[in-house]
Amino acid sequence: MTHALRRILVTFPLLLAVSLLVFALAGALPGDAADWRFAKQPEAKEQWRRARGLDDPFLVRWGRYVTGFATRLDLDRSYQDDEPVGPVLLRKLQATFELTLCAMTLGVLVGLAVGILSAVFPRSPLDYLGQVLALGGISVPVFWLGMVLIVVAVKVFGFPFSSSQYDPALAERVKDFRTHLYLLESLVRLRLDVFASCARHLLLPALALSTIPMAVVTRMTRSAMLEEMRKDYATTARAKGLRARRVVLRHVLRNALIPIVTITGLQFGQLMGGAVLTETVFSWPGLGRYIVESGVRARDTPVIAGGILLVATTFILVNLLVDLLYVLIDPRVREGQ
Amino acid sequence: MSRRRRAFFRNRTAIAGLVLVGVVVLAALLASAAPFDPETRTDSFRTPPDAEHWLGTDENGFDVFSRLVHGARSALLVALAAVGIALAVGVPAGLVAGWYGGWVDGAISRAVDVMLAFPSVLLAVAIAAALGGGSTGTVILAVGIVIAPPFVRQVRAAVLQVRPLDYVAAAKALGASDARILFRTVLPNCVAPILVLTTLSTGIAILDAAGLSFLGLGPPETSPDWGVMLTKARVYIQHDEQWMLLPPGLAISLTVLGFNLVGDGLSDAFDPRRLSRS
Repeated sequence: MTHALRRILVTFPLLLAVSLLVFALAGALPGDAADWRFAKQPEAKEQWRRARGLDDPFLVRWGRYVTGFATRLDLDRSYQDDEPVGPVLLRKLQATFELTLCAMTLGVLVGLAVGILSAVFPRSPLDYLGQVLALGGISVPVFWLGMVLIVVAVKVFGFPFSSSQYDPALAERVKDFRTHLYLLESLVRLRLDVFASCARHLLLPALALSTIPMAVVTRMTRSAMLEEMRKDYATTARAKGLRARRVVLRHVLRNALIPIVTITGLQFGQLMGGAVLTETVFSWPGLGRYIVESGVRARDTPVIAGGILLVATTFILVNLLVDLLYVLIDPRVREGQ
Repeated sequence: MSRRRRAFFRNRTAIAGLVLVGVVVLAALLASAAPFDPETRTDSFRTPPDAEHWLGTDENGFDVFSRLVHGARSALLVALAAVGIALAVGVPAGLVAGWYGGWVDGAISRAVDVMLAFPSVLLAVAIAAALGGGSTGTVILAVGIVIAPPFVRQVRAAVLQVRPLDYVAAAKALGASDARILFRTVLPNCVAPILVLTTLSTGIAILDAAGLSFLGLGPPETSPDWGVMLTKARVYIQHDEQWMLLPPGLAISLTVLGFNLVGDGLSDAFDPRRLSRS
């Protein structure tokens, strides 16, 4: 546990460094959001710049941002409409989280199954399928795959493709939802019409995005399983008459899980930000797409900084969770060795 | 070395990768011999493939095949330049971190941690946006920075492995300077992992650069660039010209696949455990 605590403490300087980097980068370019917003009203522009303190050096602006966040959990207001960016970013984060979670679940389940079977039956057709999956997932650009999936779904299967998280006709049915994790909440509330609509909207983007973790997990599972199966304890377990399935699932897999869990955690964090390409193809209202389309295009520093901080925080939280999982998997970690 | 070379060339998938990469390099070298100029309008617009335009024409009247071939040149140049940046930054940083240890190592390793704590695609977007976006140079720099951290880690780990060995102590005893030991004694013994990482990173760089172009942070719209061509093709998926998706998408996928296969083959050939097994 002290290890986990230390990880949390290391997190804060890391987040500080990240936000400083964003402000330094945003300040490095000539011009800012005001030029774009007040292109036709120069007086209003100067007044607004003073009101928002845009003329201060970037270190001062960064200091103000960090104090605002540390004291009031305030992520500042947008440079485009002066509305607080926090609530919008949180909503977008949930949309990205839902997409990433589904893609990861799909990717990890298929990756684990194919990886284990490839290791148990090397050089079988399944092993070759696994290698195709593993190589394809890291070689094919996910945004192209997404577009191909759309074409195939619409043309071949007559799948009614539409963007966003659910059918707009159901807007009334989701009005009282407390989160923006529509798939999960509709299931909890047993609103099956909403659930079906969400699942249909989520299917293609999740499928496209899942190929990345699927490839990485397949590869890692296969090599970790092969590595462990060669060790003496596996031979011993077989020699004392245990059935092959028990040896593979209870002995070997348990030891192979450590690197698999590590890579899964890293992948989850990568996808939270890396989903931006998938989100763009499928017009998914996610965080990455919002950072690019609303933040980067309009030079809206609070949107960029807040969005990136949220992604980095999620990444760190997921890795913390992975550390805790080690404790469950590996008794040696539990005993503090 | 020859045993490793034999191990590599006996690997059929590695050879397939080498062929794929070879085709792309050839296309890049011979791009000027393409039948049309990639940025000059022809007489036909949005036509399917025929004898004159092997892969048809796009909505600007550009010949798709010629753009594809010039795209190979652009993709390889961007990827090689980005990997060059990653090598130029990552190798010295890794050498210094591994060799001197202490606070130097601490500072470099923490910087690497900060960068790795970031989803790489988003980091590349942030850097490209901060640099102004919209040019090939921006893409090269953004991708180069994003793929550098693994080089630092890899080289640092390799140095730590080599540092306690006798031949390093011997070089030190002979009075060699730190720089001489690092570049003449230590570095040549870290070549294998760097070579593998360089090959795999080239594939990643091509993917990342295409992604930046796709988000509109790459070269201008008329450039013969695979990512730009895909952005254009995105408009077509609602129309009847969906085949326009295939040329640039397949080109990216097969090129990256080629680099991945060669990288895997090199990694197998260099791995002493795998050699002794076969």
